[in-house]
Amino acid sequence: MAEIAQTVNSRVLTRRSWSNLFRQEDWWAIWIGLGVIAVAVILFAGGSSIKWIAVAPQKWSHLADVRQQLKQHGLQYAALFVLWSVSFGLGAAALGIKISRFLPAFLLVYLVAGGIYFLGLWDQAAHYNLEPPLVALGLGLLVSNTLGVPRWLDPGLRVEFYIKTGIVLLGASLPLTLIAWAGPVAIVQAAIVSLVTFGVIYFAAVRLGLDRRLAATLGTGGAVCGVSGAIAVGGAVGARKEEVSVAISLVVVWAIAMIFVLPLIARSLHLSTGVAGAWIGTSEFADAAGLAAAQTYGGYAGNVSGISGNPDAAVAAFTLMKVIGRDMWIGVWAFVLSLVATARWERTGISSKSRAAEIWNRFPKFVLGFIVASAVVTLVARGFDYAAYKKEVLPALVAPLQAFRTWAFTFAFLSIGLTTRLREFAAVGSRPLVAFSIGVLVNVVLGFVLSTQVFNGFWNRLGQ
Amino acid sequence: MNAVAAPSCLECKHFKNAPAVLEAALRGLSSLSSAYAAVRSEDGLCAVHDRYVAASSVCAAFA
Repeated sequence: MAEIAQTVNSRVLTRRSWSNLFRQEDWWAIWIGLGVIAVAVILFAGGSSIKWIAVAPQKWSHLADVRQQLKQHGLQYAALFVLWSVSFGLGAAALGIKISRFLPAFLLVYLVAGGIYFLGLWDQAAHYNLEPPLVALGLGLLVSNTLGVPRWLDPGLRVEFYIKTGIVLLGASLPLTLIAWAGPVAIVQAAIVSLVTFGVIYFAAVRLGLDRRLAATLGTGGAVCGVSGAIAVGGAVGARKEEVSVAISLVVVWAIAMIFVLPLIARSLHLSTGVAGAWIGTSEFADAAGLAAAQTYGGYAGNVSGISGNPDAAVAAFTLMKVIGRDMWIGVWAFVLSLVATARWERTGISSKSRAAEIWNRFPKFVLGFIVASAVVTLVARGFDYAAYKKEVLPALVAPLQAFRTWAFTFAFLSIGLTTRLREFAAVGSRPLVAFSIGVLVNVVLGFVLSTQVFNGFWNRLGQ
Repeated sequence: MNAVAAPSCLECKHFKNAPAVLEAALRGLSSLSSAYAAVRSEDGLCAVHDRYVAASSVCAAFA
């Protein structure tokens, strides 16, 4: 069968572009996210709702309340597990992960994520700083770096698959008009920070005597989209394997540190949710890490004195800044840097062909799902005035989709911690560490100034 | 993606780009990204040059 991808001796031979529709997790995130949204819209149009299966914990005070909720909604939680298992299981199988290995691992992920979701709804959770993203991440890190994670769990720990599905579902909560209004500002702010950060890391690395391919891989990892940026550019310029590993290690360690540090600083400065989300979107490297930080900060609104803004604004501003402002452009970065590497840098013995088609090949396709999701729900909500939207569309359509999104994000946050085994990371050496850290510092300061001084009025308005 | 004409890395026996192989070789890749992501395109590892390269690349060691 020449039409489908074949795996031969650890090589995947692609024969038709459309086979990517079923063998890349970006596309599966779209199928799952838009599939759930399509069912939700059809039910809503028929006067019903998907909310029965979009079950989520409610606020509770005593363990007896939790027992009561589980007793009352046990069947719904079981049905939700089946729905997620079938959706992610089919995707995993198409990616080449055995479904018999995926399902047991996913069952544990679902149960632990459910426990963390419940914990976050405890009426004392904010008092003890038990924000679900941080609990999921912290618990995962603790287990993976002390007790260790059994290998049978690995197939169920698909951080990117879960986070991309959650981002597609997130599109249903953001009106297309908001994306059109805020997108250009996000692109401008992100472009400024990306160019400056890349330049700082690249020239610091070269100045420290590092190879230009490593410098570019580090620079893109810090300036554009974290590990995804590092592997996209690492491949485009033909970096050494150990250089890609060094970039991955630096990005992951810094990104995880920032999940805790950025919300902490923003909280101490009482930044509004919109401004903090924009800053996190500018200064975090990875989508999953940034969403953990942004969702944590959104949880402070209404629970921590001095923090204003809509709770959802932190995630909305983050997503606009990171997904629209930075992620979308990775193909362009890879193409331009591959041209420069071919024309200007030292030869490696390998000739690369710089093709503009790579801009599309490397485009993070889940962004399309995010935009389509936004367009569909905006279209559905078009005939409703604000009061009718709050009374009908929100509870029957948007809120259940938000619950699905929160589940997907929680799977991802837990998986980050459980897959981050610090002792397995490559030794990075002092020069890459210095070059990357200088860039991080510049990125954080510049992102802060742009979010809180230059564009603060804009991001504040987004959060109202 | 279009078919890549031989003798590119994609059809070389020294080139490994199966996602599971990449995630095992590049530790930390699956923590905040994935070898199944679109951004990776068809890039993979060259065992001869010990580099991470685009599938459309070519070299004298093709086999």
